[in-house]
Amino acid sequence: MTTRRWVLVGAAVLAAAWILGAEWSSIHAGVQENHLLDALVGGAFIGAGLVAIDRRPGNAIGPLMVVFGAIGYIPNWNNLGTIPLFPTLALASDMAVAALIANIAFVYPSGHLSSRLDRVVLWIIYGALGSTTLLAVLTLPRPPAGCDCAWTPLFAPNPSAFAFIYGLNQRLPFLLVPLFLIAVVLRWRRASRAERRALRPLWIAVALLAVVFLIGAFAQPTSDTTSNPFAYLMWEIRGVIAIAVPILFVWGLLSERLARSAVGDLVVELDKPMPAEDLEAALARTLRDPTLRISYAIGGERWVDCDGKPVPAPAADDAAGVTLVERDSEVLAALAHDPAIEPGLVQAAGVAAGMAIANERLRAEVRAQLEEVRASRRRIVEAGDAARRRVERDLHDGAQQRLVGLSLGLRMLEDRCRDVPGVADDVGALQTDLRAALKELRELARGLHPQILTEEGLGAAVESLADRSPVPVRVMIHDDERLPPPVEATAYFVVAEALTNVSKYAGASSAAVAIARSDGSLLVDVTDDGAGGATIGVGSGLLGLEDRVAALGGTIAIESPVGQGTRLHAEIPCM
Amino acid sequence: MHVDEPGVTRVVVADDAVLFREGLVKILEGAGMAVVAQAGDRDTLLAAVASERPDAVVTDIRMPPTGTTEGLDAAIEIRAARTGAPVMVLSQYVETRHVARLLEDGAGGVGYLLKDRVADGQEFVDALERLVLGGSVIDPEVIARLMRRGRNERELDWLTEREREILAAMAEGRSNGAIGRNLRLSPKTVETHVGAIFSKLGLEPAADDHRRVLAVLAYLRTT
Repeated sequence: MTTRRWVLVGAAVLAAAWILGAEWSSIHAGVQENHLLDALVGGAFIGAGLVAIDRRPGNAIGPLMVVFGAIGYIPNWNNLGTIPLFPTLALASDMAVAALIANIAFVYPSGHLSSRLDRVVLWIIYGALGSTTLLAVLTLPRPPAGCDCAWTPLFAPNPSAFAFIYGLNQRLPFLLVPLFLIAVVLRWRRASRAERRALRPLWIAVALLAVVFLIGAFAQPTSDTTSNPFAYLMWEIRGVIAIAVPILFVWGLLSERLARSAVGDLVVELDKPMPAEDLEAALARTLRDPTLRISYAIGGERWVDCDGKPVPAPAADDAAGVTLVERDSEVLAALAHDPAIEPGLVQAAGVAAGMAIANERLRAEVRAQLEEVRASRRRIVEAGDAARRRVERDLHDGAQQRLVGLSLGLRMLEDRCRDVPGVADDVGALQTDLRAALKELRELARGLHPQILTEEGLGAAVESLADRSPVPVRVMIHDDERLPPPVEATAYFVVAEALTNVSKYAGASSAAVAIARSDGSLLVDVTDDGAGGATIGVGSGLLGLEDRVAALGGTIAIESPVGQGTRLHAEIPCM
Repeated sequence: MHVDEPGVTRVVVADDAVLFREGLVKILEGAGMAVVAQAGDRDTLLAAVASERPDAVVTDIRMPPTGTTEGLDAAIEIRAARTGAPVMVLSQYVETRHVARLLEDGAGGVGYLLKDRVADGQEFVDALERLVLGGSVIDPEVIARLMRRGRNERELDWLTEREREILAAMAEGRSNGAIGRNLRLSPKTVETHVGAIFSKLGLEPAADDHRRVLAVLAYLRTT
């Protein structure tokens, strides 16, 4: 048995004790009423509520029924007249408890309110009953002198105000019951066929409840029930009807018919095309299980979610039941759901959604393949970057160092042969050539992968690019946070290529680089005031960059009307 | 314990490339300086500086263990321990950000040059000697870049036209005499203008050529 079950059993035992104690209190106090009937009414609500909690976890109806049932016994306990505060509690529960029943009816069967009207009416009911109850508690009269009463808090004792408010409260059903009935009828008119079928138990219950409360309003219970046999009889009938209500609710809540009607709704819903995540949501709604997840089997032992992302093979455990959806003895998908949901119902929903699930599985498979291609493109970019970094490092530690060393050697040679005519000049010329070679090598290594990008990030590297550009470049960087290396490198190369084009072809007098982040993407803009007419065409370095940006899931676009400058815009997801 | 001739500049040299380091040592020794220790990585360099307390340090920027900015970090550490300790940082590439970091402490005795400049021999030795006297030496390429950036980004509105001309000439590393000759001004007038530039940029008195570098950098970095 699960922990939840144990808790429910414990609650049931407590409830039984609470009820028996209450009836004992009534008997002890000499109250004349049908104690068995009284025990059964509240017991039916609490028991039905516990069953509902067990079978429909997360649905508000179960807890509401339990609370309603339990509150009903406060007046019984109060019959003893000795428990502190209970006189006030008994009064309050008597005056306000009916609101809970309205609440249960309004949220039946889904557990939540289905329209604005229902919400407004429910607020009115809570408001009317709640406010009169509060006022009654506040004006509660002082007990007669010498009374050996249980402690009761007094606020502003006022017998006449209290009598008026209490009378008003007891007659509120004349207003509230019709209002409630109007809301229920309107709800019926809005409902689909399947929903109407699901609402049928509610109808019966509502009719019974209306009778119960009207009886309650007419046949005022008095301490002296025997003096008015008619009222007493009505009171007994009220009790019998009241027992039926919770049983009806729970029966409706759990009935196969109700569930099947939800599956019927699902079929209608699936007839319309819908995005993948909606299929999951539709099944979750049908089975009233927000934790429901679909995993698709895509060949081999591989499972993916609706986005095509790999997920572990679904396995049933305490926290989740797993139902396989099969077609032609091939497993299409697995539904992971609350284990409390009846397996037959999940199966039915799976069959009803079979076609949609089969379609969705194909789509998930394609998405999974796309995801793999994307991942491999990204890996290629990353491997390329790693290779560039390695070559740059090798050049720096190898060729560049050697050449600088050589340059020092030449310098010393030049010093030593200053006196030999001609030779010093030759060495000097070699020195100049060597400087030029070093400079070229430096530019080459830098172009492969600038060290400053790794060290200090995109902002510093772009500033450095701008510093080097023969065309004046204005740099605007918002939020110079470090980003994943492939993103930084890609943005850097976009700017580098764009600035190279600006200085080579655009004939611009100035350029600007703007880098900003928005919605998880890095936005790179390079603009110039040059001749325009640039394209991302064959032979342009931008073509390769377009691939590179796309490999990271980004886009690059160029706007370059002739004579009006060029604007290059790239968006790179920050991963 | 080293016993040195008085007046000889004692230098610690750090670079992981042995060929270059040896060339550097020869050039410094050829110029009459004493190389008291050599290092191939940051930790060895810091240890050598702590034990030798040299007059100057020459270090490559990129060294083991990570091959990024060890030399720069070591320079900042050395100068944090001893304000104004003369350190010359050499690099294959010049980066204005690195210069900015080196100059952050505001003290003189900072050098930042492209590695190639070492092959200029005597000029490099002169630069190092200026450091030892509290001056600063920044690679002309950095200055050129900053000047370009300054031209693009800001208006030179708190200096007069004449002062701006003189500042640009200073940025190119010219002396007062050379500036005067170029702009046809008397040395006295140039000196007055330079003094005005220093005070407008709020520069405290220091070794003159350090102040000149700072003037250019401070002016260009202020927005």
